[in-house]
Amino acid sequence: MVLTEEDSSKSGKNNENSSDNASSQYECNICLETAKDAVISMCGHLFCWPCLHKWLETKPLNQTCPVCKSAINKDKVIPLYGRNSSNKTDPRDKIPPRPQGQRTEAPRNNFFASGLDGLHVSFGIGAFPFSFFASTFNFTTDNRMPAPPPGSPQYAEEQFLSRIFLIIAIIFIIWILLA
Amino acid sequence: MSGSEQQVATNSSSGKKNDSVQTVTKDKHSVSKRLQQELMSLMMSGEKGVSAFPDGDNLFKWIGTIQGPIGTVYEGLEYRLILDFPNGYPIVAPKVKFESSCFHPNVDENGNICLDILREKWSATYDVLSILLSVQSLLGDPNIASALNHHAADLWKNQSLFKKYLLDKYDKEVRNKKF
Repeated sequence: MVLTEEDSSKSGKNNENSSDNASSQYECNICLETAKDAVISMCGHLFCWPCLHKWLETKPLNQTCPVCKSAINKDKVIPLYGRNSSNKTDPRDKIPPRPQGQRTEAPRNNFFASGLDGLHVSFGIGAFPFSFFASTFNFTTDNRMPAPPPGSPQYAEEQFLSRIFLIIAIIFIIWILLA
Repeated sequence: MSGSEQQVATNSSSGKKNDSVQTVTKDKHSVSKRLQQELMSLMMSGEKGVSAFPDGDNLFKWIGTIQGPIGTVYEGLEYRLILDFPNGYPIVAPKVKFESSCFHPNVDENGNICLDILREKWSATYDVLSILLSVQSLLGDPNIASALNHHAADLWKNQSLFKKYLLDKYDKEVRNKKF
């Protein structure tokens, strides 16, 4: 217990802001308070987004990290979202909203492993006009990008298309049965 | 999309006057908060050789003192500085000048200091303590190439002569004024 206290006070002294409480490591490097709308630079330094934005605005041609002077810009800072913080969006008039977090979908390495999700349009029965369709669609789905997230326009479009193909397939099947 | 942007634009133009007044008071508030924090940490730091305190009730103007670094011609001398904090601090550097006259290659007769970190190399993470320490180290380590006081710059080569002249001047202009 004594040891940890000593440690924390030591690290507080090493810190430029030299305040001894543990929360000091989450202080904005500019306003010295606990970072609001926190962003972190690629070099690892924490700021309030409003503070950093003001700093970057003053030198649009030579944007550097105020702490370590490494090159920095709006696209190279990452917003930090705590558990309950992302809901609090205060009306910031002049300050543009924080840069968005960037998330990339993990690549799908196997088409069949992805389950029914990718199999929407394949309806091969074996009859020759459909096997052509089936193989073409299978190839296209194999090459396409990861499925768009639910709710986006692309998602709705794909749902619509797969429904149309389903209807066409049913019509074909009925036609074959009747013929 | 464009409709909402237009709305924002008209809103901001109509409320521009209010906005600017609001941001100035908001800025002032955050600057005084940061200065209070700096004052706290400066008093806690127990740094020897430099000190600073607000001038009366005005938190935006501080009086700093630095002692000449040990082992230099300035050893044993003490100088007073005025630090003027703008509303944009710490994004904008404070105005720092010597109150007492200071015979130094990089200080002119009005007390203005030629120091890169107070101008183009300013960073929002610098604070009163780092400024005072930088000025203190400038005393013992002048930048002869960008001299403001050419007489002092010429004399710097001959340290014993420089010291004699410096002490004469200090006795006349600083010690006598103190009392």
